[in-house]
Amino acid sequence: MDRKDNSTPQGEIARILVEFMEVAITSIVFLKGIYPNGAFERRRYMNVVVHKAKHPQLNEYIHSALEGLLPFINKGLVDRVVVIFFGDDDVPIERFIFKLSVNQSYNSKVEQADLEFSLRSFLIKLPVSEPLTKPLPRNCRWEITAYFHALPEAGTSKDAEMWIPTDAKQWLQPPLIVPIKSMTSEPLGLQLYLEHPSHTEPKKT
Amino acid sequence: MGSNSDSKSRRSFNSILPNPCSSNHSTDGNKSSKKRKTTQKTLGMAWGANSRSSSDSLFCNSPFSDFGSYMAVKNQKLHQQFNAAASSSSNSGPSCANPIFTGVSIFVDGYTVPSNQELRSYMLKYGGRFENYFSRHLVTHIICSNLPDSKIKNLRGFSGGLPVVKPAWVLDSVAANKLLSWVPYQLDQLAVGSDNQPKLAAFFTPKNSGGSEIVYQCVDGPSFPKLNSGQSKDCAAVEQTGNCTAEPGDLLQISINKVMADEPASSIESSCEGNSGKLSDCPPLDGQATDESGSCHASTSRISLPSKRCHSTLTDPNFVENYFRNSRLHFIGTWRTRYRKRFPSLSRGFNCRNSHLNTDRVNKTAIIHIDMDCFFVSVIIRKHPELLGKPVAVCHSDNPRGTSEISSANYPARDHGVKAGMFVKEAKLRCPQLVIVPYDFEAYEKVADQFYDILHKHCSKVQAVSCDEAFLDISESEEGDPQLLASTIRKEIFEATGCTASAGIAGNMLLACLATKTAKPDGQFQIHPEKVESYLCTLPVKMLPGIGHVLEAKLKEKKIKTCGQLQLITKESLQKDFGKKTGEMLWNYSRGIDNRLVGVIQESKSIGAEVNWGVRFMNSDDTQHFLMKLCKEVSLRLQGCGVQGRSFTLKIKKKRSDAGEPVKYMGCGDCQNLSHTITIPMATDDADVLHRLATQLFAHFHVDVEDIRGMGLQASKLEGADDNKIGCKGNSILSWLVSGSAKVNANNEIGLSNTSKPCNLDALSDNQRLSHGKVSWQPHSNITGSSIRTDSSLSHSETGVSKNANLPCLPDLDMTVIDALPPEVVSEINQMYGGMLYEFISENKSKTERTEMVFTATSKDAGFTVQETERSPAHIVQSNKLRTNEHGDEANVVHDAASSCPRNLMPSSLSQVDCLVLQQLPDELKKDIIKLLPQHREAEFVRDVSATGIDKQIDSEASTSNKLWIGSPPMWVEKFRISTCKVLNRCAMIYESGSCSCLSSLLQRLMSRTLITIEGADGYNVAVSWLCDLIKQYIDLKIATNIEEVSCCICLLKRLTLKSNIFLEVYNIILPHVQASVGEKYGGTLCIPFVST
Repeated sequence: MDRKDNSTPQGEIARILVEFMEVAITSIVFLKGIYPNGAFERRRYMNVVVHKAKHPQLNEYIHSALEGLLPFINKGLVDRVVVIFFGDDDVPIERFIFKLSVNQSYNSKVEQADLEFSLRSFLIKLPVSEPLTKPLPRNCRWEITAYFHALPEAGTSKDAEMWIPTDAKQWLQPPLIVPIKSMTSEPLGLQLYLEHPSHTEPKKT
Repeated sequence: MGSNSDSKSRRSFNSILPNPCSSNHSTDGNKSSKKRKTTQKTLGMAWGANSRSSSDSLFCNSPFSDFGSYMAVKNQKLHQQFNAAASSSSNSGPSCANPIFTGVSIFVDGYTVPSNQELRSYMLKYGGRFENYFSRHLVTHIICSNLPDSKIKNLRGFSGGLPVVKPAWVLDSVAANKLLSWVPYQLDQLAVGSDNQPKLAAFFTPKNSGGSEIVYQCVDGPSFPKLNSGQSKDCAAVEQTGNCTAEPGDLLQISINKVMADEPASSIESSCEGNSGKLSDCPPLDGQATDESGSCHASTSRISLPSKRCHSTLTDPNFVENYFRNSRLHFIGTWRTRYRKRFPSLSRGFNCRNSHLNTDRVNKTAIIHIDMDCFFVSVIIRKHPELLGKPVAVCHSDNPRGTSEISSANYPARDHGVKAGMFVKEAKLRCPQLVIVPYDFEAYEKVADQFYDILHKHCSKVQAVSCDEAFLDISESEEGDPQLLASTIRKEIFEATGCTASAGIAGNMLLACLATKTAKPDGQFQIHPEKVESYLCTLPVKMLPGIGHVLEAKLKEKKIKTCGQLQLITKESLQKDFGKKTGEMLWNYSRGIDNRLVGVIQESKSIGAEVNWGVRFMNSDDTQHFLMKLCKEVSLRLQGCGVQGRSFTLKIKKKRSDAGEPVKYMGCGDCQNLSHTITIPMATDDADVLHRLATQLFAHFHVDVEDIRGMGLQASKLEGADDNKIGCKGNSILSWLVSGSAKVNANNEIGLSNTSKPCNLDALSDNQRLSHGKVSWQPHSNITGSSIRTDSSLSHSETGVSKNANLPCLPDLDMTVIDALPPEVVSEINQMYGGMLYEFISENKSKTERTEMVFTATSKDAGFTVQETERSPAHIVQSNKLRTNEHGDEANVVHDAASSCPRNLMPSSLSQVDCLVLQQLPDELKKDIIKLLPQHREAEFVRDVSATGIDKQIDSEASTSNKLWIGSPPMWVEKFRISTCKVLNRCAMIYESGSCSCLSSLLQRLMSRTLITIEGADGYNVAVSWLCDLIKQYIDLKIATNIEEVSCCICLLKRLTLKSNIFLEVYNIILPHVQASVGEKYGGTLCIPFVST
């Protein structure tokens, strides 16, 4: 199945995308400093210094979450992949959104080098966008949430079953959007932006 | 007093019965062999009787109502007899030379040589006392040659805590005509266990002891011989308790205190003895030491068990700290840190100056090497003039077994062949009169400080080698004659410290060092440049620094003994035989070449602490405790040096299975060295973290804790503690800013040599690896500039701005990111486009001459260079690349291909046509191309229906809403150019200048221009509406795919509002539109930062 997937440009894109997002999400988690810096080690990805989680569970969570998305991305079902940071009260504090658009009708060869070039710009921009982000309180948690265009059929893949419907609380007001990076490299369009609660968002005491 | 048990007395009583009382009675001044035998047989009885008698207060019961009263009377009579004999002997004249045994009361136990009667006569003669019966209160020393096992085991019960010494003590004391320390004469059987060497614990002063210990403090003053005496007595005492109770730790401590409290009398008594002994022993030592450093080694209670049972690491909870407090090597090792703190400006300040100053004056340099003469000894003996000229060695302890190592010996001792590292035993063999003195670290520190104060006073360039050794670079010194300077310094050192120093003067550090060796002791020697050769010629090779036993032996094999012989060998063959570095070193040194510069202090690469003496563990708790202490020590050292380590190595010395107890007391003996290393991502100096790591490392070893003889923890991969704080910010921009732009040259090369794509990428990644983590974020316009220069000479035309399907098109490039990109990445961008161009070129070899755009396709040397422009004053680098479509066709070709190129070179859609190129083309050509395009476009539509972005713009060409951004150049350009509004004209101009393909960069360029708009002027409202349309349409185009660009435009627009009212109006109109669009597409509002004026 994998081989078949990879033979199409979409399959290839999906594979690259999943790998990339695994790195990018780890970078985000590192950036937010949820875990001590020592929990990460420096690695090189796409010729850029990135950070990789050393803790096997953290690594596994990110990895399995995204691996589980692979079949859906492949089918073009995934709209957004979101890394959400929650405060004490389970209300999101900050959301990192990867907005995907894969051109499903694209059928020529994927220029990997170009794609890498574009994706790398995310990894370069991400660490320097730290000032755009909000400081997190002490007891926060985070999760990866994916938004689908349509609900997938059950039982498409073993990995996919690990995804469950989210019951995360939402903001009541439309959030503030802070773009971080956007790119288009056929057939992939990828944007990364931040969502923060609106100023008018009712605050819990 | 009355606490003796019945059973004991009963047994004593029974055993005494068979003894003929008469024989005891008959004892008088005469020494009868019969009596001797009796005593030997009835030793146990004698004590028992004694204790019984002491329990009995009846004193003058002539009928001898019981045995106790009988003994009391007997003792009294014996004392009287002894006193009578003593007075008669003292009256008898000259024979009574010196009452050296005053205060000493001996009890002879068992068979001795000389006999107990002879000993008694000595006592009579020299003012001592002799007890026939043992009493803890009367006897101060037990004399015996041998002890049965049972008594060894129950030493405490046997001796009552009193010293058990060999008769030789008495004889030797008489021979020396003074009371010698009894310690060396302690009975061998006991010495094995208790060892007269001060135990580790003996160096440390537990502060928890009570009053009983104060007594002991009086006993042992700080002076060394005395220290020993008091100490080992205590040791003995403690051992006895240890033996009795066999309980370690606190219990032991308690029992000691108890014992002491039980016997205050004896303690005091022995203290008197100790004092007198000490005084007669070496009065000057004592006196000064007490004045000087009362604290020095004035240890109180010595908790120590026989080594077989005792684990020094166990008995002292602060073992590690104390170990290092008393370690000479530690003193030397940590001295440098201290020195640097003391002379921070001096040691660093001239470093910088020095490094470049020195290089050109190698010939003129004059270097003085100053070395204190046997520092560790001379500092001690300077206060003891009587030791001057006598062989003296510094050692932790002076024990008769001589199992401790000599650390340093003075010259008289060296003349006897005493060397550092030698066991005391061996040293004493060679030099029986050798005096052993202990360390005095405080004095060392003081002297070292004085030493350096003097050096720094005379010379600004001082390189400290050790606490007692330094190099001075006097090349710049005003004092002309180095000899004079050296002698001045030496004189001052002697005056200030009382210690002598030697100096060597020569042209470099090596020769200066050699000269000092010649000059020693207390002299100075200059090797003049012209004499270097003759000096070296006969110099034995082992004199050279860096040549040790091994190297010397190797050289000896080659029949090389002197430097002169060594000079005959070529460097190559030396390097072949000894390795590159060593070979070169030999070659250089044999010629007196030394390029080291004075003042270059090497940063230490690792910091650690190691203990391999006195390490004995019983269980894993001990190890844990020890590890914790070790970690604390390492942590302190790291903090002291202001660094943190990332890599930690735990070293363990494991006793070899066949190795017995080491020769050196508590030493490590024959050991296997094991080590494990762990590297952590974050440097640390925290003791807890270290402990955790050390525990983890320790778990790797799987060794029996009882086999561990040494442990060490070492931190390497050191980082400055301050650097790390920056690093904590992750790879934030700060950490990238640190490095300089040294790599520009290398980058230029790479940037220009676009031989082929894969090759370039390789080179690039290499380069990135090199600069990994320290690339600079300064806009490196030089690198792109260099490629531009090659281009611009050839092409002055407007470069093509094209859109690429695979690479992000230029409008998509984030200008701020590009701006900030490290040069490596910028050049990589170039290469990526360049590589594609190259492919394209190789495919289409039939390239014709360009009309406007010139590709510098000089593939013979550097491939071709990417077309680049850099016009922005703000150094906005734009790599205006030429785009291939997915078929590898090149759109740019269009312009000249209209007439000559094959059809397959045509772009597949108008969107792919480089607008600017097209714009610059002659009109006829333009028309031709436009004619050709629609056909392609149809094909494109079929194939790529859902194309986003720019393609959509084509789709909606017909619709009026987005028409402004259609075309090449977009329609608005023409419209704006002919507008009457200056701002619009400016926009068009900027766009046409070609460097701004996207709105954000256009707006950015606008920021740097002065904008004059006259409100209410002609066409002002039109201009506003046009601008609004332009921006709105642009946002509509971009909103779905590039919110970043949208946000960027809005932010720039907001900034422009400060410059011109027209933009304020535009902004106010645009913002709601943008927010609505964002809300629609992203379900939120764009966050627009405040702009401060």
